[in-house]
Order: sequence, then C-alpha cells, then structure tokens
Amino acid sequence: MSAAADIIRVPKAPTSWSWGAALVGLCFLLACAAPFGLNGYGLYLLTLTEIFALVALGLNLLTGYAGQISLCHASFFGVGAYATAILTQKAGLPYLLSLVAGALFTTAIGALVALPALRLKNIYLAIATLGFGVVLQKIIFEWRSLTGGGGGLALTAPQIAGYELGATGLYYLTLAFLTVGLFGAWNVSRGRTGRALLVIKESEIAAGSLGINAARYKVTAFAVSAFYAAIAGGLFAYLVRYINPESFSVGLSISFLSMVVIGGLGTIGGSILGAVFYVIVPELLRGIKDAPGLVFGLLLVTVMVFMPQGLWGMVRRLARRSAR
Amino acid sequence: MIANLIVGGLAAGCLYAMVGIAIVIVLNITDIANFAQGEMAMVTTFFAYWLMDGVGLPWWQAVSIAIVFGLVQGIVIQQVVIRPLIGGPVLSAIIATLGLNVVLNSLAGLIWGHQTYTFPSPFAFSPPFLIGGVHVSVDSVVNIAVGLVIIICMTLFLRFTWTGLSLRAASQNQTVARLMGVSITKSSAIAWGLGGLVGGIAGILVAPSLFLDTNLMSALLIKAFAGGVLGGLNSLIGVFFGCLALGVAENLTGAYLSPSFADAITFIIIIAVLTLRPEGIFGRVKVRKA
Repeated sequence: MSAAADIIRVPKAPTSWSWGAALVGLCFLLACAAPFGLNGYGLYLLTLTEIFALVALGLNLLTGYAGQISLCHASFFGVGAYATAILTQKAGLPYLLSLVAGALFTTAIGALVALPALRLKNIYLAIATLGFGVVLQKIIFEWRSLTGGGGGLALTAPQIAGYELGATGLYYLTLAFLTVGLFGAWNVSRGRTGRALLVIKESEIAAGSLGINAARYKVTAFAVSAFYAAIAGGLFAYLVRYINPESFSVGLSISFLSMVVIGGLGTIGGSILGAVFYVIVPELLRGIKDAPGLVFGLLLVTVMVFMPQGLWGMVRRLARRSAR
Repeated sequence: MIANLIVGGLAAGCLYAMVGIAIVIVLNITDIANFAQGEMAMVTTFFAYWLMDGVGLPWWQAVSIAIVFGLVQGIVIQQVVIRPLIGGPVLSAIIATLGLNVVLNSLAGLIWGHQTYTFPSPFAFSPPFLIGGVHVSVDSVVNIAVGLVIIICMTLFLRFTWTGLSLRAASQNQTVARLMGVSITKSSAIAWGLGGLVGGIAGILVAPSLFLDTNLMSALLIKAFAGGVLGGLNSLIGVFFGCLALGVAENLTGAYLSPSFADAITFIIIIAVLTLRPEGIFGRVKVRKA
C-alpha cells in the first residue's frame, strides 16, 4: 500500500455548511418516506442496501482510515446474524437485546482476530483474515446442534415489545441503526481516534513517535468494525428470514471490500454509495440477457479506472467544481 | 499411506505453485495483487483448446501460440486497465482486477459456454513413475519440473539482464527508479506480460488434471495466494515451496485430523506461521524507512 496516495486530503470544500446539512436532511426525509412509495421488493432492496452500507461504514473505518485490509467481514456479518438468530429463537431473548448481545460477542471476536493481525501487513493481512473467515464459517457449518449446519436456520418474524416487526418495521429499524452508525462513524473519523488511525495508516513509526499506541488503535478499529458488521448481520438475518453458512463466504467479504473501494476509501458518504452500487446496479442489469456479470464487471473496472478515488471522490470533485 | 498422501499433496501443491508464481511476478514488481490472474490463465487455456479443437493444430503449436497469446493478453490488460491506475491507490487497482476477473469469466462463458472440456495432455498415456513404491503421475513430475525451470529462468532474467535490473529497481522504490530513468509504465507492462505468460503455462499444465471449464482457476487462485503468503511473497522459490507445503498440509490434515476441517486447519497453520514470521517462511523482511 503506497500510503500517502490512498487518500488525498481535500482542502475544505468551499461549499457552504448549510448546503451539506440540507442535502443530508433531504436524503434522510426521502429515506423515511421510501416505504410509502415502494413495493415489497423495492423495500427489500433498499433495506439490503442500508444493511450493506452499515457493514461498509465499519469496514471503511478499518480499511479506509486505519489502512488494514480485512477479508473476514462476511464472517463477522455471519456471526452477528447467527448469534442474533440463536439468542432470539433458541434462548428466547427479545430481538433488540439479542441484536446488541450478538454484536458485542462479535466485537470480542473482532478484537481477537486483530491480535495476530497486528504484525501483518497488506496481502499477508488479507490472507490471514481470509483464513479467520474460513475458520469461522467452518465452525458455523459444523456446529450443527446450535446452528443447523448446512441446512441453515429458518427464522420467524421478530417482535419488539410484543409488536411483530414486518418489512416496513424492519426497514425503519435498519434506518435507525444506519443513522446512528453514520453519526458514530462521522464522530470517530473527525475525532482523536480518526486522526490517530490516519497517522497509523501513513506510518506506524510516525504514529509511535507521536505517542499513538498503534496496537491499541488497530485492535479498536477491528473491534468497532466487527460491531458494525454484526449489527448489520443481525438485521440481515431477519430481512431474509433464512440464513445458512454458504451466505457468508469469502466472496461476500471481497464484495464488502469492493464496496468500500468503489465508494471511496476513508470517506463516510463513499460507504453508502458503494453499497448502493453493489445492490442496485446488478438489479438494474438483470434485464440484460446473457451478460449481467459481464456488464457489472466492466462497470467495476470502468469506475476504478476513471475514478481511482471512488464514487465519493468524484462527487466531491464535481461539488468543488460547481462551487467555483 | 503417508507417502501416497505426501505425493498427492505435492501434486496439488504444484498446481497452486504454477498460479502462485504468475501472481508473485506481478505482485512483486507492481504491488498489485492480481485477482484476475486465474481468469487470464483460464482464457489462455481455452484459447489453446480452441486452437487444437477448432483450428486443428497439434499440441505443441497450439500451446506455443497460446503462451504468446497469454503474454500479449497481459500487456493489453495492463495498458487498458492498470496503466491509468499507476500512482493511484493500490486497492483501487486490486478491485479493478477483481472486476476484470468477473469480466473475463463471463466473457469466456459467452464464448465457450459452461460445459466442461477435457484438455489433452501429451503425457496422458505415459505410465506413472514408481518412486519408492509410490505411483507418481507424469503430469505432477512435469508440473514440478516446469515450475522449477520457470523460477530459474525468472531468477536469471531478473539478476542478469538490464531489463531485469530495472524491474527489480521498480519493485524496490518506484520514485527512485523513475529518477534513475526506469520507466514505471514499461516495467509494469513487462511484469503483466510475464504474468500472463507464466499464467498461461500454468493453465495449460493444470487443465488436464482438473477439467477445463470457466471456473478452472477459481479454486486455485485463493490457494495460490495462501501458499505464496506461507512461503513468503518476495521470493519466487519461497512461493513455490509454500504452495507445495500447503498442498501437503491439506492432504495430511484431511487424512489424519479431520476431513471436514482440512481447509480451516490449513489456514490456522498459515496464521500461526505468519504470527511467528510475518513475511512468510522464506520471506526477507523489507526494511522500510517510512
């Protein structure tokens, strides 16, 4: 990873603060109104986009800010999904409680994964985390008494305070988590931790000489991003109502990483754009006969070749140009 | 029993090693982990098959032309996709190769369909060697021999030619290499060409033992990365032995510990090795002043 080139710090955009806030507000209002204008399938896709955006947000903290590649996020996602499902269905805990408990459990696993990862870099780290992903997926697969093994788990609709959560309810719950997640990620990235992570990405030696405990921050980044992935997993389990170990493969981890890079490394908005790209574009391409994969791959390559800073980098450049 | 398992593991490991060598040539010189390497090799192999089956060329001619095709394919892909990304974020280039992976796979599916073909091998009917009471297939011996020959040729090329020297310079420090008059775009193109060439050879050697279809390489690619990391990515011979060791480890854990956990245990071994030696078994630690 050529550290310095990965994020080009843009000098503060001259667009005025109120415009950005207005835009965010508009997006939020649109998201709130969406269930009234969409059919069931559209709502499912939008919920899925938000769930993936939540994972991408967390992964972006780890990859975009701290510069650590992870190929086991699908497993964190999966562990979150299974933990939530098992706590709700088998232990009878309330849905929200098991969602948080499952996420905390996954956070601990994320911190554990980070420990051997501390010494590794780049491809070595990618392969080690990929290994953890394979191991976690295998454990889920083989622990048949708890997880149902390859047969998977079928889930019933979750309940919150005696009220059954339908598609619309789950959508609003996801939106709430995404909003909180966005706010959290924004705070982390603007604050001391975000700055520390950026320095670690540039140079661990420099970080050390500034008194930044790189090991501690890296473990924190892994743990936080595992938390995001697990919450998303717990929501995903109840969106699709059926989970099996195959859904949480290395391929999904690679997709998560692609979302972050396509959207824009080290940007909050990019995480969302990346998730939108990954869910909506294949959906739009389904009509094309024979070659949805071909067109999607070509788009992926084109986006990267023409926008190496990702979609968000492009948006930012356009915004600056129009403000001039 | 154990000898059979080791030989079988070596046979699988040398398939990983073939792909691993191609990946590492590109990775070392350009810093880009090429996720499209497997699919590039697959397309080259299909091209060779088409030359034999469709055009009717004999094995040697078809394979020689296909290997040149692999070289050209690597250079073309570098010029179109990778060249604009030089100097940009490395992860962007890696994700671009991931997209390329999808493109080549569906392209091959469109052209050749999704059925499986039997790729001919000139050694298919030669009787297996008998070494110490263990049958060793001629294919495996040829694969290991070709792998070693490629490594020797690459090492000689990198050590003793001016082009090799400039490639090594580019892999050490792009800025300084550029100041010394080494063209980064050119060395990147050469690396991709060589990667395509070696990958093509790998595909052609691998195809007779797995069947030829569009997913020929998908299983090998990750294993090749893992074996390469185990051995140490900055030495070709390290990658070679790492991949062989990975194949053997998989076979042995599968037979003696647990068949269903073979993959997981192998990865645990890799993680354990990396914890002790973060640059792989044969890897040298790069000293970075950064």
